[in-house]
Amino acid sequence: MKTYLSVYKKFFETSLAEASSFRTSFILIILMDIIFYLTTLSSVSFIYDHVSTIGPWNKNQLMFFIAFMLTMDHLHMAIVSENFWELSVKIRTGTLDFDLLRPLSSIFSVFFRYVRTSSLINTPLVWLMLIYYGRQLNLTWHQWLLIPPLIILGFTLFVIIEFCLSVAMFWTIEGWGINFLRMQLQQLARWPHFIYSYFPRKILTIFLPILLVGSGPVNFIYDLSNTQLLFGACAAVIVFAIILKYLWAFALTKYDSPSS
Amino acid sequence: MNTNTYAIKSHQLYKNFRSYKKQSGFLGSLSSFFNRSYIEKSAVDGFDLEIERGKIIGLLGPNGAGKTTLMKMFTGIIVPSKGELTVLGHHPWSRETEFRKKIALVMGQKSQLWWDIPAMDSLELLQRYYEIDRDSFQKKVKKMSELLQVDHLLHVQIRKLSLGERMKMELMASLLHSPEILFLDEPTIGLDLMAQENIRKFIKEYHERNNCTIILTSHYMADVQALCEDLVLIFNGQKKYDGNIHDFEKILGVEKNISFSFKTPPVFDHYLNQFDPKWNENKTNVSLRVPLEEVQKVGINVLQNHSPIEFNTEKMPIERVMKTLMEQPELLDN
Repeated sequence: MKTYLSVYKKFFETSLAEASSFRTSFILIILMDIIFYLTTLSSVSFIYDHVSTIGPWNKNQLMFFIAFMLTMDHLHMAIVSENFWELSVKIRTGTLDFDLLRPLSSIFSVFFRYVRTSSLINTPLVWLMLIYYGRQLNLTWHQWLLIPPLIILGFTLFVIIEFCLSVAMFWTIEGWGINFLRMQLQQLARWPHFIYSYFPRKILTIFLPILLVGSGPVNFIYDLSNTQLLFGACAAVIVFAIILKYLWAFALTKYDSPSS
Repeated sequence: MNTNTYAIKSHQLYKNFRSYKKQSGFLGSLSSFFNRSYIEKSAVDGFDLEIERGKIIGLLGPNGAGKTTLMKMFTGIIVPSKGELTVLGHHPWSRETEFRKKIALVMGQKSQLWWDIPAMDSLELLQRYYEIDRDSFQKKVKKMSELLQVDHLLHVQIRKLSLGERMKMELMASLLHSPEILFLDEPTIGLDLMAQENIRKFIKEYHERNNCTIILTSHYMADVQALCEDLVLIFNGQKKYDGNIHDFEKILGVEKNISFSFKTPPVFDHYLNQFDPKWNENKTNVSLRVPLEEVQKVGINVLQNHSPIEFNTEKMPIERVMKTLMEQPELLDN
């Protein structure tokens, strides 16, 4: 674990060194992220100018859910997002070879190599948004305490599902299709589970459980007795982690490494 | 011989790759989208090999012979289709952490260093991957960078370095953790003569000091002659020669290379043409591959009939042996 942390610290430093050498791009990414957060929140707020509730939730509850998802999304953008795009490049060009030689888990070397350091600048902003909407709901202290671990749980579930999907790049080689699929799933996961009709909801809760990513934790925060979706999310993390382990090992046996 | 004496042992090793044929143009793209005809290519075909620890072995062969595929199987990057393989007592494709700490790979055409950051950052990342203590890391970096004369470039972004400087950094990166086996896949490709010589000298000295096993592929025979005690020759995925470099030089028989220079292009008769003459562009210089017992006769013939202005005799250069074998691989079947 110590080695992983030490390597990750260096991943962070080198990502910062790399990103900061392109200053305009660095600043543009910060601005684009801020615009994304504000447009997402304002579009939901706009809908509530015309309706009083969506499903069982009022405006404040849904705004808190969206802020919760954006905080998770922010973590995703900062920690893993770039690496999905890099994976197909690595498979096509063969630079994956060197990741496979390193004496740590290749999943770690592949999916955590690049940290989008510019996105981290927005950390205070997303947490302020979350705190603001949490205060609108008058959350209790133990509800506040639950937020950070539940964000980590949702984030973990979502990225493990994405890792599993990305393994398909070993066969497709080209990564655009898989990456667009991931992004579409992100869009679907940004809404609470109850807005979907019966069959899509079942599929996206049981087979490809992306709706558990946000709905599981937030429902639990709202009602501590509502544990069904939360346990579902925990179970899904375990199941998909096991699937990932075997899928990744199998994919590596199919890796051909392009000729030099 | 004890299994521990071997760094690499393979038996009936195979690797097949599948690709598909695609016709050019719009219709070709459409047709290959719906109906692909696949081709199975055998890159490594029943390869048996035993390499003792501490040796430097040259893995030679034309492009596409299967050298890099072998290297990738030895390092565990790709999995063999069939056969047995152990490297330092491990099955490489199991990718055990202990195994990965014992090996290093340098590819002349692929970089393990990060393009937009200085080499030192990449080296520090590797220090953490391989858990090298700080003092030992600093000593190694100082020593190797001085030997390779790149100590002043450690804090320059990789993309700003020349190819030769970059390759020196690649070598340093691969040796930081003192691997037991070093795989060098065309480490001097594209480098100028000075850089090639510098890298060869460094590898030779490193091997003398550390006695690690080195597997080298290169199309430059100067690399092979300077570094390798033994050669393995691979053609179409099959091993065609495995032995000492001096025996390899005699693989076509005990022959000498005789070269002659002329003022004006001479016309050789049937007798001289049988010695595989290789002419320069303006036909004023020729080199002949002559069996030892014929050397005197050929020399007298040319001196008497064509009045050369200069001539010299040397043992068959390894380039000439390789070139002949690449042109006539069937000679290896005899």
